[in-house]
Amino acid sequence: MIASEALVDRFIERATAAGVEVVRVSTDASLALQVLERISSAGIHAVAVWDDPLLQPIVDAVRGAGLTITHDPAAAAVGITAAEHAIADTGTLVLSAGPGRPRATSLLPPLHVAVLPEDRIVGTLFDLVPRLEALPSALAFVTGPSRTADIELTPVRGAHGPVSVAVYLLPDALGRAPV
Amino acid sequence: MRAALFVTCLVDQLFPRAGEAAAAVLRRCGVAVEFPPAQTCCGQVAFNDGFWEEARPLARRHIEVFDHADVVVAPSGSCVAMVRELYPMLLRDEPGWAARAREVGQRTFELSEFLVDVLHTEDAGARFPHRVTYHPACHGLRALGLRDQPLRLLRRVRDLDLRPLRGAEECCGFGGMFAVKFSALSSAMLETKLRAIEDSGAEVVTATDVSCLMHLGGGLSRAGSRIRALHLAEILAAQ
Amino acid sequence: MSPPESMPRIDFEANARSALRDAFLQRALRSAMVRFRELQAGVIAEVPQWQALRQQAHDVKLDTLAHLDRHLDELEFRIRARGGHVHRAGDGAEAGRIIEGLARGRRVVKSKSMTSEEIGLNEVLRRAGCEVTETDLGEYLLQLAGETPSHIIAPVVHRSKESIAELLSAATGRRLPPEAEALTAAARVLLRERFLRAEVGITGVNFAVAETGTIVLVENEGNIRLTTTIPRVHIALMGVEKVIPRLADLPVFLTLLPRAATGQRMSSYVSLLTGPRRPGESDGPEEFHLVILDNGRRAIQADPVMCEALACIRCGACLDVCPIFERTGGHAYGSVYSGPIGAVITPLFVGLERAGDLPFASSLCGACGEVCPVKIDLPRLLLELRARVVRARGAGRAERLFVAGWSRIMRDPAALRRAGGLVRFLQRLLGRRPRWVPYPLSRWVTSRDLPPPAHAAFRQGWKP
Repeated sequence: MIASEALVDRFIERATAAGVEVVRVSTDASLALQVLERISSAGIHAVAVWDDPLLQPIVDAVRGAGLTITHDPAAAAVGITAAEHAIADTGTLVLSAGPGRPRATSLLPPLHVAVLPEDRIVGTLFDLVPRLEALPSALAFVTGPSRTADIELTPVRGAHGPVSVAVYLLPDALGRAPV
Repeated sequence: MRAALFVTCLVDQLFPRAGEAAAAVLRRCGVAVEFPPAQTCCGQVAFNDGFWEEARPLARRHIEVFDHADVVVAPSGSCVAMVRELYPMLLRDEPGWAARAREVGQRTFELSEFLVDVLHTEDAGARFPHRVTYHPACHGLRALGLRDQPLRLLRRVRDLDLRPLRGAEECCGFGGMFAVKFSALSSAMLETKLRAIEDSGAEVVTATDVSCLMHLGGGLSRAGSRIRALHLAEILAAQ
Repeated sequence: MSPPESMPRIDFEANARSALRDAFLQRALRSAMVRFRELQAGVIAEVPQWQALRQQAHDVKLDTLAHLDRHLDELEFRIRARGGHVHRAGDGAEAGRIIEGLARGRRVVKSKSMTSEEIGLNEVLRRAGCEVTETDLGEYLLQLAGETPSHIIAPVVHRSKESIAELLSAATGRRLPPEAEALTAAARVLLRERFLRAEVGITGVNFAVAETGTIVLVENEGNIRLTTTIPRVHIALMGVEKVIPRLADLPVFLTLLPRAATGQRMSSYVSLLTGPRRPGESDGPEEFHLVILDNGRRAIQADPVMCEALACIRCGACLDVCPIFERTGGHAYGSVYSGPIGAVITPLFVGLERAGDLPFASSLCGACGEVCPVKIDLPRLLLELRARVVRARGAGRAERLFVAGWSRIMRDPAALRRAGGLVRFLQRLLGRRPRWVPYPLSRWVTSRDLPPPAHAAFRQGWKP
């Protein structure tokens, strides 16, 4: 499916409104470089990353920079995932758990980085459901960082999960991993 | 057009001027008004308080009194909501009466609704040189779905300065027996509403129901305010 | 659910009076309700088909309730096929025993669940030797304070940040400033440690999709995801009414719920959980148990008038617009469920004898029915319950006499004419601010003057 520019724009607007940092990248190389920069600027050493071909350039760059890749999300300061789908209307990432794709990667580290090929963006929740075939053990819709407003209704980020969520949007041509 | 005036028990006994004003406005708009003298109370007081057995004879009697009228008009959103929306529920175990209730209900209108939606009249020919704020009484607003009919009428009143009311759609706290059973809560709600009315800068607060106005007016009087509570019909009848 | 024998009648009027005296509560409730209403209105206005979605959600719920067993059987079948366990509990005690059997002596983390509050689960687990930690921030604070939620979405809205700072300072042994950010961060550290060593996670359920055997959980904090990711055992507790037939029904409810609840387009996290972890996965529960609770719900379902109360998706929108709730908070309702929906379902759960005051605690302004995202006709249900209370329990003597007298007079125009004359005579005699008047006027003149006497009744002055 060809990503419609309007869907991408809507996703960027709504995800940003939900408190997500959205970055558009044009090549694998710039993806790896920009993610590495985002991680380094946060002073991060331990990285948890999903097994996903989309993330290979990032894994290579992270290793090259001498950072540690860990399989234990509890020990990592950033968790890197690849979104299976996204919903433009609400700025939502859809993450599917599975082997090599722990649930905790997008949950325990204070920073969550997600890679999203633009052609995986659908308009609404209603457009998403027909695309969900066999449901995984856990499908997470993630819209912005973890938050709470339980204390005098003051919004606070990072109640239990990530304080920050960064999404890197890949152009169609790079979104080649079969889902 | 002929209309039977369903004046409501509160207007009849406590606020006759609102009824006289409603009749005057209707006549000015070319409606022949009749008053079936057998009418009393629609039964809402008993019904809302859970006394359906006591309310049913009043509902049946109301239906009989107004059965033959082409159109029934009342200066009360609440009593119209009772007849139109709640009689079928009250009388559901008596299918014949429920059907008659539906027929009467379809022909029963609140005054501002009748003027704007049925007669398509927004200018009632009134003049009222005062600052006025409008409280949308809940049953008219939500049970009948009256939205801006009263405001459209007020906007066409000459020399009237219409003031917006903060939190207009929040209940004033009357609620029938609620006002006495939960007097402290009712009074707290009243207080919020009175503050908004004072802050509107109005000299007069108006509404489509004398029940809410009795509550607001009683509160204004208790607070020593100079603001008066007047039924919408009284403003529309002024010249 | 039969009420424990010692439970007293809920005296809403007295509870409301004491809430009205609490100046902090009044301010906090007002500002919270206004804020919720603004946020909700903003994101609801973005959905042009909002009214159609409300109707659709209502229809799906009622249609599902009409064939409840079929959908629950399918849900159970699908979950078992995925390696999960399903338990049916007739009442709260039975659900408690089932969960106790699974969790005995273990370290338990819990996410917010009204249903678990309904059955007093924490107390059951504590007695079974479990260390139970509520992990929703608000619920955790309530646990520290030994209190119950006062609002379904903002459970701790009745407490100031200063009093919360005291609670958390005591829990951490550090002096914490009364700032939401610092307090949240302190609770995060405390609770993270609890998560990492928890053995059992207990959650509620927002929706259970029968056709796929999936439970759906909606939240902002991430504590539900942690509860369903880290512990070896996940126990989810749901009322029978949470089942929806198809995955295709879910977008309807997920469009409505966050907007009506917190005024968000989407909550931060929605989890669709289908069975326990699968081979090759490194986290998620190895054991998944779903406890399906009746506890009086089937009796409500079988009641053709009250059935629609079970469509409730626990968003709290009816609380946020209710002028009564705004002045009393949730505790005045004397039960887990408060506001207009609480005034309907609490009497159904605990009986008219105990909770018969609640349906009367409404001015019938209709705001709740107008906002309910699943279109429950709350004002109508309140009216129905009032009639049942009067039939079952009767009313006070003064009230009975008043209503009976009123109805008798109104059956006869001649009697009305005489009574009206008497009223106007008394009005002139007593003045607008009388020293003494009989019930119900005695409770009117506490804050309101009587209307000035009319010269005569309308009917006397009528000229055709």
